Amino acid sequence: MAGVMIERPAPTVGEALRRMREQGATYQGVWSWLTTIDHKRIGLMYGATAMFFFLVGGIEALIIRLQLARPGLTLVDPDQYNRLFTMHGTTMVFLVVMPLSAAFFNLVIPLMIGARDVAFPRLNAFSYWTFLFGGMFMSASFFTGNPAGSFFEGNLGAPDGGWFGYAPLTLNQFSPGTGIDYWAFGLLILGVASMAGGFNFIVTIINMRAPGMTLFRMPVFVWMTLVTSFLIIFAMPIITVALFQLLFDRLFGANFFNVNAGGTPLLWQNMFWLFGHPEVYILILPAMGIVSEVLPTFSRKPLFGYPFVVFSGIAIAFMSWGVWAHHMYTTGLGSVANSAFGVSTLLIGVPTGVKVFNWLATLWGGSISFKTPLLFAVGFIGMFTIGGLTGVMHSMVPSDYQQQDTYFVVAHFHQVLVGGALFGLFGGIYYWFPKFSGKLMNERLGQLHFWAMFIGFNLTFQPMMILGFLGMIRRTSTYEAGLGFGLWNMMSTVGAFVIAFSVAVFLVNVVVSMRSKEKAGADPWDGRTLEWAIPSPPPVYNFAEIPQVKELDDHWAKKYVQNEAGETVPAMVGGANGHDEEEDEDEGGHNIHLPSPSIIPLIASAGMPFLAAGFIYWDNPWMLPLIPVGAVITLVGVYGWALEPATE
Amino acid sequence: MQHAPTVDAAHETNTGIDNRKLLMWLFLASECLFFGGMIGTYLLYRNSSVEGPYPTDRVIDGVAYSGLFDIPFTSVSAFVLLMSSVTMVLALAAIRRNDRRGLQIWLAATALLGMTFLAGQVFEFTEFYNEGLTLNSNLFGTSFFVLTGFHGAHVSVGVLILLSLWVMARRGRITSENAMNVELAGLYWHFVDIVWIVIFTLVYLLQ
Amino acid sequence: MKLGQVSAAKLATIALVVATVVATTGCGALGGDQNTFNPAGDVAQKQLDLFILVLIPAVIVLIGVTAALIYVLVRFRRRAGDGIPKQVHGNNALEIGWTIAPALLLLGIAVPTVAAIIDLGGEAGEDALHVRVVAQQWNWRFDYLDPEYADGDGRPFRTVDLYIPVDREVGAELEALDVIHSFWIPKLAGKQDVVPGRTNTLKFNATETGVFAGQCAEFCGIGHARMSFKTTALEPAQFEACLKSIAEEGEEPLPAACVP
Repeated sequence: MAGVMIERPAPTVGEALRRMREQGATYQGVWSWLTTIDHKRIGLMYGATAMFFFLVGGIEALIIRLQLARPGLTLVDPDQYNRLFTMHGTTMVFLVVMPLSAAFFNLVIPLMIGARDVAFPRLNAFSYWTFLFGGMFMSASFFTGNPAGSFFEGNLGAPDGGWFGYAPLTLNQFSPGTGIDYWAFGLLILGVASMAGGFNFIVTIINMRAPGMTLFRMPVFVWMTLVTSFLIIFAMPIITVALFQLLFDRLFGANFFNVNAGGTPLLWQNMFWLFGHPEVYILILPAMGIVSEVLPTFSRKPLFGYPFVVFSGIAIAFMSWGVWAHHMYTTGLGSVANSAFGVSTLLIGVPTGVKVFNWLATLWGGSISFKTPLLFAVGFIGMFTIGGLTGVMHSMVPSDYQQQDTYFVVAHFHQVLVGGALFGLFGGIYYWFPKFSGKLMNERLGQLHFWAMFIGFNLTFQPMMILGFLGMIRRTSTYEAGLGFGLWNMMSTVGAFVIAFSVAVFLVNVVVSMRSKEKAGADPWDGRTLEWAIPSPPPVYNFAEIPQVKELDDHWAKKYVQNEAGETVPAMVGGANGHDEEEDEDEGGHNIHLPSPSIIPLIASAGMPFLAAGFIYWDNPWMLPLIPVGAVITLVGVYGWALEPATE
Repeated sequence: MQHAPTVDAAHETNTGIDNRKLLMWLFLASECLFFGGMIGTYLLYRNSSVEGPYPTDRVIDGVAYSGLFDIPFTSVSAFVLLMSSVTMVLALAAIRRNDRRGLQIWLAATALLGMTFLAGQVFEFTEFYNEGLTLNSNLFGTSFFVLTGFHGAHVSVGVLILLSLWVMARRGRITSENAMNVELAGLYWHFVDIVWIVIFTLVYLLQ
Repeated sequence: MKLGQVSAAKLATIALVVATVVATTGCGALGGDQNTFNPAGDVAQKQLDLFILVLIPAVIVLIGVTAALIYVLVRFRRRAGDGIPKQVHGNNALEIGWTIAPALLLLGIAVPTVAAIIDLGGEAGEDALHVRVVAQQWNWRFDYLDPEYADGDGRPFRTVDLYIPVDREVGAELEALDVIHSFWIPKLAGKQDVVPGRTNTLKFNATETGVFAGQCAEFCGIGHARMSFKTTALEPAQFEACLKSIAEEGEEPLPAACVP
């Protein structure tokens, strides 16, 4: 029996496995990264991978902008253009913003709640590897998805149906080739990664908090992670169903979206947006959480209206399930449905506004230090406000009939996702970089990065609003002269290159900062939350002793007290910067027993791309065996997981 | 192992709920949305097929079509699956009182009942196929096979889990201390069972 | 020095926002055949009116928030010798205020929105010109459904560009033969998707004669960018003459009767 063989491996195999785990535990060499289950290392890998895909998606954006710089350009042909904008959207949503958020979940959440790791460290590693393989699998379609010819002859094979993949355009009949199959399987694999992460962080936050860390003593970023994770585990299954249906239609001739058999294309749209609108909040809520951490730290005041900020986040999450049809106003839903979804969409503006007002009130009366993280957080507030207000404009059904599918929509969601999510995430990078590298990021380069990005952002996306008013449609590979689009498009293209410059500055900054000799210390920003109580970078076990939490902003409360006059003063001499004494105190950690490194999560993830490839090419007898190969790898992963002890 | 601060069931949690159990509950909640989407699609397309075969008897443009559903047969297989939930409960109860032999018997019984259900599904699919219903024939075929197929896949995974537990139990690797393994498998098994009750009601019974 | 940087940038933001607003309201003058700020039909006009109605409070809110942000940043910037600021945790009255105020504002916006939805929805009247719009990759066809335009066999008259009489309602039935398209004449009316397997409707009119650009607005494949058509609004008598000429001479070259 197979079970017996796995249970009693030959002694040599067992010995080899044991050595591998020991090697992983040394924290040195490539092997230790492949087998790591340390949330901090997984977070770093998430961040680095997301940054790589950010460059890929950014290059796609620059090609798009070059093609649209002037009327009638032919830098790329319509087919290439469609594949590029599809992958730009898909990459930025699923391979950049979501994993960048996941990077922060991994890096920060256990530290913020005073835990030594997440609830399921191996599942965490599994999430990362699955994300990596899913992203690579989908991107491979550029080279393998086009039967017409090779990538190097200009035949891109990437999917060409848009990130929204509206059926029936995505059916075989209208999108031959395998690009869409790669897209659908890629999203399924990425969905597994996201859901595994979602489960893990919910359990971690609900169950793994340090003593005294009640729910309402949790930092807002922890709250937003919890809310986002719930959105993920409920939204992802819906897109999973839709993707399976699409794949059954494409691969096996099923009829889900076959109009001639009585199917309706609107089924896809309803399912996609029932997933898609919560997804929008999956992208933005983590950034809101980061902003809610950065503002208090750099104004030296607690977050104003903490419970209201938390509850407005929860309210947004609930309401996000009742607004999906505002993506479908023009599909002919009828006046009643359009009215209902119009009003629900207007109302989701309320909790969003509450957050903005509370952030302003947090800054009010503070002592604001204009470091790079704060600049990004403030940029977030400004740009997100524009995004929110343009969102209100879109919710008004009749005027949206004019705006739907124009560049006004493109402008709107880039306000939210770049000016909002990405600004917030960059703020988070500058904020937590010293915690995990031990080095502060260079402030001058940081300021340059921010201002270049801020100016480039406005130059890129504000003209798009005007383009929308002038009637320029989205997803158009070119436009005619004489429609008045040229000037604004040129502005936008120039802006895109300013953003590219700012990203280059950021990358230089990372390198420069890593090579800097100056140490950041445990608490360079005079922070308020638990992660600043431990050395930078944190030891493997995070906390030598699990902290006892007594209030919100516990770390701040340990540093500052109120004197008789009611003023807040440092609790001891040196106060704010006097907490570095833990830096060299490595003693406590040696007896802490941590879960062992494991290669199993990587193996368990590795089966999925094989299975997907096998199904895509199932009618090719040479490729069909990939299905059993993938199944065996997966089974080895699963049984290995079940039988391998978590710790040794 | 008892010192491990993170993973283990033994670790004390804020809520008192075991981490793995919470994970399973969340997973099943997520699965509800998955099956909700599948079942919703079936119901949406219930009367949309433009050609036969159809699930129930009907007359269209003067042509009589006899329905494919065999309610008595499917009722029996649904009952079999329902009974497997009972044996699953008995398996968990057995190991909780450290009755390892009882655990083996009831795990095996549950797995056998699950396999009986799967055999019934294979038989049903074959019958329908012989009557001309395929994945491609019409919307009924498409939405029916995909929905019940995914459910069958879930049952198959459950059977695999049960058999693995049975092997472990036979080797004496399951005790009342790690009965959580059985409890988790049970949660999953009951869920798959309940989903079938919903499918049976909405797809087969309510027309 | 920091202060200078910040306010300069914020001023730039304001300038940009103001420029945006000026530019958009001035857009009507910018020409462009697809300019939604320069409507030539009642539906497009109503949609623009509604948009302006929300644009004004939106700009006010934006200026207010931005001004407040700049003010706070300038006034509460950290100065040398600053102590720890007072640790304020919140204020329930304020919270309730800024929850209710936007809610009221948004509900206020909801009223004209719903009114306009109802106004613009519904079927075209009996005396409208009835047209079936057929979309496929990547062109349009227009069938004139009113019996007086049918040929001897009762088949509707068909053109590749759209011709309509000015000041008369047009009731369009939208049908797609392959994938989803979207029917859009920016100066006359907002768009309506053309979905295979279902028939959507759109009613609109032109209040002035002229040629108006139309464009497929839903991504439909490699020909999407070029899936455009012209809509020519003519005086009623000329419209009849135009269709007659097309019936005799075809659309290419365009008969003189069809030039407004």
